[in-house]
Amino acid sequence: MGQERFADVVERFTNGFAAGAAAASPETVKQWQEELDRNVRRLTNLGKLATASEPRTGQTPRQEIYKRNKSRLYRYASSRRHRTPILFVPNLGISRPYIFDLLPGGSFVEHMTREGFDFYLLDWGVFGPEDNDLTFEDCVVKILPRMARKVLESSGAEELSVLGYCMGAPLSASFVASHPEIPVKTFINMAGPIDFSKIGLFGLWLDRRYFDVDRFVDTLGAVPADLVKAGFKLLKPTMDLSTNLNLWWNLWNDKYVEGFTALNKWANEYVAFPGEFFRQWVRDFYQGNKLVRGELVFGGRPVRLGDIRCPVFVVGAKEDYIAPPACVRALIDAVGSREKDYTELPGGHISLIAGRGAALHCWPKVSGWLAPHS
Amino acid sequence: MTDASAATSQLFDMWRKQLEESTQAWTRLVSQAPAPPPDPMAFWRPVLNQGLEQWARMFAQTPASPDLVTQWKQFLDQWIEAWSRVLGQAMNTEAFAQFMGRSLEGWLTVQAPFKKAGEQALEQAVTTLNLASRSQLTAVAKQIVELEERLERVEDGVQAILRRLDHKERA
Repeated sequence: MGQERFADVVERFTNGFAAGAAAASPETVKQWQEELDRNVRRLTNLGKLATASEPRTGQTPRQEIYKRNKSRLYRYASSRRHRTPILFVPNLGISRPYIFDLLPGGSFVEHMTREGFDFYLLDWGVFGPEDNDLTFEDCVVKILPRMARKVLESSGAEELSVLGYCMGAPLSASFVASHPEIPVKTFINMAGPIDFSKIGLFGLWLDRRYFDVDRFVDTLGAVPADLVKAGFKLLKPTMDLSTNLNLWWNLWNDKYVEGFTALNKWANEYVAFPGEFFRQWVRDFYQGNKLVRGELVFGGRPVRLGDIRCPVFVVGAKEDYIAPPACVRALIDAVGSREKDYTELPGGHISLIAGRGAALHCWPKVSGWLAPHS
Repeated sequence: MTDASAATSQLFDMWRKQLEESTQAWTRLVSQAPAPPPDPMAFWRPVLNQGLEQWARMFAQTPASPDLVTQWKQFLDQWIEAWSRVLGQAMNTEAFAQFMGRSLEGWLTVQAPFKKAGEQALEQAVTTLNLASRSQLTAVAKQIVELEERLERVEDGVQAILRRLDHKERA
C-alpha cells in the first residue's frame, strides 16, 4: 500500500459496497432483514441490561454444615448415589465462589449433584481487617482439617475426596500432604498452580527483585479488593474490550445476556486478601517455589507432595494465563501416587470451570474420573 | 461468500503474522534500549499501516451483505487478539516488571504517610466523639475470633475424651 491516502480507502470501500448492492439477491435482502431484526433486539436488550435487577446466582439447594469465623461449609442436596463425599476447596480471596453455581443449567455444583455426588463447598468468606493475621499455614493446619472432619461427620463416610480449584489446589495439596491421618481417597487439582517457576506473568511481576512483599503488606495491612482487581485486569488488558465487543455481538440473544449479567456480576466482585496470607503466598510460593521443592513446614509438619499417595487427577486449561498448564501439571511428577492422570482441556482459567465449554469438556471429565473412585 | 471469507481470513493471518514479527522486534527494542524512540509515531507506524492496508483490502473485496458485519467482527476479534499478544509480550519483560516494581514502590512511599495520617485523624475524631475507633472494633473482632478458636479446641478435647470412653466401654 505504501503511501496510500485515506481517501483512496474510502473510495474503494464505496465502490465495493455499491457493486455489491447492485447485485443484491433475495437471499442477501433476507440476510439484511435478519440483521436489522437482530439490531432491534440488541437495542431492546441493551435497555433491559441497563435496568435489570441483580441475577439470582447460587440456586442449587444447600445447607450450612459448619461455620468458622468468615468461612462456611455447605452441603448440597443430591441423590448421593456415590458414597465418598467431595470437599471442594476454591481460592481464598480474589473472587466469590458462586461462580461454581452461577445459574441453573450452567453450574458445576448442579452438574456434580445431578451426577449423584455428595458435594461440599468450602466458602472461605470475605475477610476483614480483623483477619489480617490469618496465614496460609493457618488455613492448612487449622481450617482445612476441621472442614474435612466436618464433611466426614455429617456424611457418615469413612473417606472423602478433595477437589482444589485455583489457589484452593495448593492449599488442599499442602493439607493432604501434611495430614496423613485424614482419610483422603482421591485428590483432584483443577487449574491449581504447583510449580511456580512456570507460573508466567504474575511470577515475573511478583519476583523478589521487583516486588517487595514485606513493604507492601506492612504499608497496606491487607490487599484491598481494588488492587486485586487492578492486578488481574493488567494481566489481560484487552479483556474488557473483547468482553464488551462480544456482548454487543450477542446482545440480541436473550440467553447470552442472562449468562453475561450473572458472570459480569461475579467478574466485578473482587475480594481482598488478608495481609499475612498474601505475604506467605507470595514469599513461599511465587518467590520461593517451596511447595514443589518440599521446603514448606506447616504446624511443625513437613509438606512433601511425595507424601500424597491417593489417586490424583490433574486438569489444566490450554489457554490459562493465571495458572499455565505446565505449572499445574507439575503435581503429577511431584506426588507419590501410583494412579495419577492428567488432562488438558480447551479454555482459560475461568472458562475451564464455568460456562458452556466447561459443561462440554471439564465437568463430565471430572465427574467421569471421580465416579469409579467414589 | 465462502471464497471471500477464506480470502479475508488468509489476509488476516498474513497480517497477524507480520504484526507478531514486528512486535517481537519492538519487544527486543524495548528491553534493550531504555530511552523511548525519538518519534512516537515511528514506533506505531508499522501497525497502523498494516491495519489500514488490511481494511482497504477487505472493504474493496467484500460484497455488500450482512456477512460484512461478521467479517468486521472477525477483524476486530483478531485485532484485539493481536494487541493482546503485543501487550502480553511487552509486559512479559524484565523491563516492564522493573517499571511496575518502581511504580508500586513510589505509590507506597506516597501512600504510607497519607494512610497513617488519615488513620490517626480518624482515630482522634471518633475518640473525641466518644465512639469506638476502627482499631478498637478490630481488636474486639480479633478477640471474638480467638474465642471461637478456643471453643473449638475445647470441643475437640471433649470429643476426643468421649471417643476414648466409648472405646473403653466397648472393650
